[in-house]
Amino acid sequence: MTAGMAVFAVSCTAKETGARALHKDTQLERFLAEVERRALRIAEIAVRDRDEALDLVQDAMIKLVRSYSGRNSEEWAPLFYRILQNGVRDWHRRQAVRNRVMVWFQKAKTDDDDYDVVASAPDPIGRSPDEVLQNSEAMQAMEIAVHDLPRRQQEAFMLRTFEGLDVAGTAVAMGCSEGSVKTHYSRAIHALRDKLGEHWQ
Amino acid sequence: MKKTDEKMAEQAKEAFDRSVDGLDAATLSRLNRGRQAALAEAAHSHQRWLQWMPATGVAAAVLLLVVTLQGPGDLDVISAPGTDLEILLGEESIEMLEELEFYSWLDSQELEGDGDLG
Repeated sequence: MTAGMAVFAVSCTAKETGARALHKDTQLERFLAEVERRALRIAEIAVRDRDEALDLVQDAMIKLVRSYSGRNSEEWAPLFYRILQNGVRDWHRRQAVRNRVMVWFQKAKTDDDDYDVVASAPDPIGRSPDEVLQNSEAMQAMEIAVHDLPRRQQEAFMLRTFEGLDVAGTAVAMGCSEGSVKTHYSRAIHALRDKLGEHWQ
Repeated sequence: MKKTDEKMAEQAKEAFDRSVDGLDAATLSRLNRGRQAALAEAAHSHQRWLQWMPATGVAAAVLLLVVTLQGPGDLDVISAPGTDLEILLGEESIEMLEELEFYSWLDSQELEGDGDLG
């Protein structure tokens, strides 16, 4: 009898675990579907290459699912962006090494040279050509200005403004204190205002 | 934060959101594939875990059953392998191993003898 009860208890636990896992998977899918497009654009502004940005976002999704799917869903956004920002930082490190090697072989060419912001701009939906051009120009100016910010300021600005994370969430994503987030964000805003003054009034 | 700064941040957010809304179909498709690949990995890891759940449960139940039925009185059965070990490590066994060729020859002689008899 005892053994029978033990088997029953284990099978019940297995069913509950399976149901919880399915529920988590649904939540995860919803979260990733919500966050993936903004994450792609944030990564794209940081690395200025859509293909690379797509790879970075996919890696971040896999790592989140693999390591943090068991966490509360409220924690996913900061954790996801922390993984993504780490990926972006690693990408820049690899690029720096690659560029040094390319310079050594007299083939110095940065990816920025190949990147045409207008050509890579998203396809317009239901807007007149004038609107598209204005938006595209404004976005191009903003992308360049944000890309040129120091790395930490860029992260703080994009996470706070584009993704809408609060100060605490941004601190988790950046792996620093809330005070540092406020400082980086404030400096980013001032730098952007100085650069974009003529485009953004 | 100054009002002008807030306004600039709002404008930047609006431009960013428009660029997100305008992502082309090919890019959205690639994002979708990436998401599905990530989720498939999660489902796979859940399945791996769930696959072992029934087996672990049955093993635990069987162990529980054995312990319950046997009770502490039968535990001296466990000492049986110890006796075998003593025999294996005994002097006689080593002697037999040392003279294995002799015993093999003796065995073949006996077989031949049996053949002669038959």
